[in-house]
Amino acid sequence: MVYTKKSPALFIIGLIMLAIWFLATNDYLAGYIEHLGGKKYKYGSELTSIPLYFGIVAAVIGAWQWFGSHKESQWDYYSSSIAGGMFILLIAMLVRWFIAPEIATISVSMGKVGDTGKHIHKLLGLNYVVLGIVVGIIIVNVFKVPSWAQNGVRLSRLGLKTGVILLGTLYSAAELKNLGGLSIVMIGFFVLGSVGMVLWIGARRNIPNSMGGVLSAGMGVCGVSATVAAAPVVQAKSVEIAYTIGTILLWGVGCMFVFPIIGQLLGMTHVQFGAWAGTGILNSAQVAGAALAFQPDGIETLKVAEIFNITRVLVLPIIVIWLAVWYVRREGEQAEKVNVGAVIFQKFPVFVLGFILLFALSSTGMFAPANHYKGKYFDNTKVKPAKMMTEEQIAVLTANSHLVQREDRKAALARLIAGGKIASIDDDATIRGLANSKVMGKPSGKILKKAHKAVRHTAKKVKAFRGWITWLFAFGLVGLGMQITIGSMKQAGGQPAVIGGIVGFVKAALSLVVVMMLIETTI
Amino acid sequence: MAEEKNFDRGSALSIFGSDRREDFMALVFALVIAFAVYFVY
Repeated sequence: MVYTKKSPALFIIGLIMLAIWFLATNDYLAGYIEHLGGKKYKYGSELTSIPLYFGIVAAVIGAWQWFGSHKESQWDYYSSSIAGGMFILLIAMLVRWFIAPEIATISVSMGKVGDTGKHIHKLLGLNYVVLGIVVGIIIVNVFKVPSWAQNGVRLSRLGLKTGVILLGTLYSAAELKNLGGLSIVMIGFFVLGSVGMVLWIGARRNIPNSMGGVLSAGMGVCGVSATVAAAPVVQAKSVEIAYTIGTILLWGVGCMFVFPIIGQLLGMTHVQFGAWAGTGILNSAQVAGAALAFQPDGIETLKVAEIFNITRVLVLPIIVIWLAVWYVRREGEQAEKVNVGAVIFQKFPVFVLGFILLFALSSTGMFAPANHYKGKYFDNTKVKPAKMMTEEQIAVLTANSHLVQREDRKAALARLIAGGKIASIDDDATIRGLANSKVMGKPSGKILKKAHKAVRHTAKKVKAFRGWITWLFAFGLVGLGMQITIGSMKQAGGQPAVIGGIVGFVKAALSLVVVMMLIETTI
Repeated sequence: MAEEKNFDRGSALSIFGSDRREDFMALVFALVIAFAVYFVY
């Protein structure tokens, strides 16, 4: 079978990207960008580079697909996915650069919502991540994905996995140590708790052991991968796997949209929200979606959420062994013998090991030079006088300093007030934590963030990685939207949906309480 | 994720025959990007 469609679609996508680049480079978009916020518009540099590179690739391959002759081959199969991949990328570009800023502009013109102090787009999280997923859902359910794009839509998970692996380059050893300890405690409690709870409720509601087993893995660990990994050891039937995946999907999609709104309303910090999303949301892609929806223009929340998510995946072997023992005990001699070790080996997600590999490479210093973490701008001679704090700013911080309770924060703040700038990497981390905790109020928070920016030095390699990761996730999440069909939601139903709903709600609510009570740190 | 559809190759979620193969491809892409960033910047 020949998979490549002789269609002009990819060529046209390339031309559209090149047109965006041409218009942006020659200032034809200046008026529109002014309307979208002028100097506040953040994507100017992206508009003059990204559509050029991808536009050329899409136009050249598109011309070949349209006019060339194609034969059945591996290359034919895999290259046929490029059209759909570029289709997703074009949608991500349009949403990030134009649709989301337009909605933000309209929202700002409508004023803030009641006592919340926030505009409606912030409150509802209507940023490029959420809008990209929504556009994907609309395309697949209203218009249908065009046949030339169908192979490429199935690349979205590949994009997300590549993004997660690359994320490994952005953690420092100290961050991983701090977050790792926290995540092991939280994940250990909530994963084991949810698995146990599903099995307990399942036994009382008399669902088959195979159904209970596979649902518990899906609700406890990491959604679809865990369901697939647990299925052989509990001998789940296809329909039970479908029910479980439908239940996880239904719950996960709901959480992906609701979690960021709750996070905004509660004024959660990046670490609090990341920890909550990484614990309470079931599926890896939806964890990433919620984290980026909460903080679309930075990856701090995503970093925290992914550490929790990866810790959860690492628990998978324990859950598979638990379920294997549990199933044999329940079913007795009727249970078929399954090689549990082989199942774990075959089903364990290798991309998690990829994340660890990239972190290991990164910790040798090859991607982020040592001065990235040391912060070379802490030196007095390298901070421009214009970036030092003004007397008015120092007065605001001094007036609000009584609101700070923690001793380390008090000390770092005192040094900042005395010196007019942050003096060390440790103080920088502490001051960032203080700003993110919002305990000193909004004006002080802004001043603290400015003080942090004055000494912040991000290595070019780190900036490049952030760019790649942002786009891989944007790509993956638009594609994810295109895979959320009404039909797939309907796979959920009956007892699995009821049990899944109860356990999912308890897990989300309890983890929210724990996060709000215990976590006030930052990265 | 998407409702069951018959794809000649791969699944409704992936163009690859297995999750393992997709994971390895993601690792390959990530390493290519990582080394490109290492040499270019």
